[in-house]
Amino acid sequence: MSDAAHAHDAHGHHAQPTGIMRWLTTTNHKDIGSLYLWFSFFMLFVAGSMALLIRSELFEPGMQLMRPDFFNELTTMHGLLMIFTVIMPAFTGFANWQVPLMIGAPDMAFPRMNNWSFWLLPVAAIMLLGSFWLPGGAVAGGWTMYPPLFIQGGVSYDLTILSVHIMGLSSIMGSINIITTILNMRAPGLALMKMPMFVWTWLITAYLLIATMPVLAGAVTMLLTDRNFGTHFFNAAGGGDPVMFQHIFWFFGHPEVYILILPAFGIISQIIPTFSRKPLFGYASMVYATASIAILSFTVWAHHMFAVGMPVAAQLFFMFSTMLIAVPTGVKVFNWVATMWKGSMTFETPMLFAIAFVCLFTIGGFSGLVLALAPVDIQLQDTYYVVAHFHYVLVSGALFSIFAGIYYWLPKWTGHMYNEALGKTHFWLSVIGMNTIFFPMHFLGLAGMPRRIPDYALQFTGFNQIATVGAFIFGFSQLLFLVLVLKTIKSGAKATDQVWEGAEGLEWTVPSPAPYHTFETAPVVK
Amino acid sequence: MTRPQQRLVFGSLAAVCFAIASGFAFLGYWLTLPFAGLEVGLLAWALDALRSREGDYETLTIEGDRVMLEWHAGTRGERREMNRQWARVICDCGTSGRNCRLSLSSHGRETKIGHYLSDEARLQLAATLRRKLQA
Repeated sequence: MSDAAHAHDAHGHHAQPTGIMRWLTTTNHKDIGSLYLWFSFFMLFVAGSMALLIRSELFEPGMQLMRPDFFNELTTMHGLLMIFTVIMPAFTGFANWQVPLMIGAPDMAFPRMNNWSFWLLPVAAIMLLGSFWLPGGAVAGGWTMYPPLFIQGGVSYDLTILSVHIMGLSSIMGSINIITTILNMRAPGLALMKMPMFVWTWLITAYLLIATMPVLAGAVTMLLTDRNFGTHFFNAAGGGDPVMFQHIFWFFGHPEVYILILPAFGIISQIIPTFSRKPLFGYASMVYATASIAILSFTVWAHHMFAVGMPVAAQLFFMFSTMLIAVPTGVKVFNWVATMWKGSMTFETPMLFAIAFVCLFTIGGFSGLVLALAPVDIQLQDTYYVVAHFHYVLVSGALFSIFAGIYYWLPKWTGHMYNEALGKTHFWLSVIGMNTIFFPMHFLGLAGMPRRIPDYALQFTGFNQIATVGAFIFGFSQLLFLVLVLKTIKSGAKATDQVWEGAEGLEWTVPSPAPYHTFETAPVVK
Repeated sequence: MTRPQQRLVFGSLAAVCFAIASGFAFLGYWLTLPFAGLEVGLLAWALDALRSREGDYETLTIEGDRVMLEWHAGTRGERREMNRQWARVICDCGTSGRNCRLSLSSHGRETKIGHYLSDEARLQLAATLRRKLQA
């Protein structure tokens, strides 16, 4: 008789403590994914409430509710929190839940590092939010942290720099984990060019994060030394160059935009084929387009700063390189539409959000092309047109893809189907609310209304009031989403293992809800 | 990943990081360099840790009267042979969620097994082994 027990490459430290200790000490990718997503959801309400305060103040011209400096604090904090504690953690949450399930791995490559990556985030968020109560209030110089304002501020500016460092460390550890997991722990037979698009987009995003994070860390450290140790990197009074900070910041900042949107492309590329019941059109071109966008993102940073003055040759270079990004982005939009073309489509909530993404993100892309034109940008710089543009990219782009992804994978995570009627109500309220807020901002910007200003000229009142009404519709409709998620966790029709008729991939081969440990024996992909 | 592939991944990331940081350092903004160094160092450690653990395994074979246990973890490893009649399964807990320790004991010496298993799987393995050893 011969009998062998063989174990290889699973993680033996997945004991399950209960209560708070389970969440503090967990190294399970599903637990950590849930932590990221809940943290992000909570911060969405925090940063969203700030947006509602901003919009309330802007309902009428003149100062209504707050001091101008508090308005500036809210504007700055809304930007920082939405980027670093809402959108980025939400995508990392998806990566934690889905990447191991999609590649047939039992967990992430470094589960303990994964735990640290998450728990650094609440610390950073508490530091940022706590700065509201410090002498001088929170940071008020804009999320881009430009000197000289950022050199002159109070102690909260130091705290913000520390917080950015912590969030950067969290991102770097997360990225290293994702890269090593994807490259080392794929199931046998799952070649790189067979990986789901979501996994591809996260692999490229993690590369971008690793390439750009030292730049941000260096830039904010130089701000810190300028503030506290007498250096003059960016301090014009000592011979430093504040404009150089903008160059360094945007060298990080523009790839950051793609860090915020590439995983969204991945989620949409999973959803559209499922509900079109067709394979993704042009898979290879999607991969190459994603890589092209990532590479090109390093060559366009100065389009954020045409107004500082630069040689015509530089303006032309950055103008054309920015317009070039429209080519791979266009390939993606074309492929999504081609996937839907003659597909057997159904319109469940994830698909509705995916279609809204394609349409509205394209509007954001086109307004980006308008801003890429140097002569136009010089007119529109720092107006509400820019605010409209990046909210079309980040709300109807990144945030809608997060909603789409949650509706798509929630039955797999919870084992229950969500309430479709409630989901569709949430969708329509979000789409109507979002467009009501941000579409009028194009007109405001074209008419010359500056951004980050708490008061405005009388002629801008109408569009501002429409935007504020839209903000409240959009904001409160997210409470509906919270109710839907809680209801789905507690009850709802039992989800099948495959959940969606057209769904393909390894994650749909495990039971719903996905067991605590999956793929302890690696599946073989043919 | 094979070693050349691993080198390619590390090399491409390190080259991009250092090229960017060196560019800024050349312009006088040298504080990007230490962060690039720290990050590339962390990446190197991660890849090295994975490589050093890629050959980890644990095998337990029951053949006739012989029980053969072999494990390898990082640079450590052991091969031990026991007599089936003398081998005993020792499991220090009855339910999962308590970081169960599972070992095989013979001639007064215990060898830990199931390093890479979850608690549930360790309990399952303990039951299977007891059955097989008594058969």
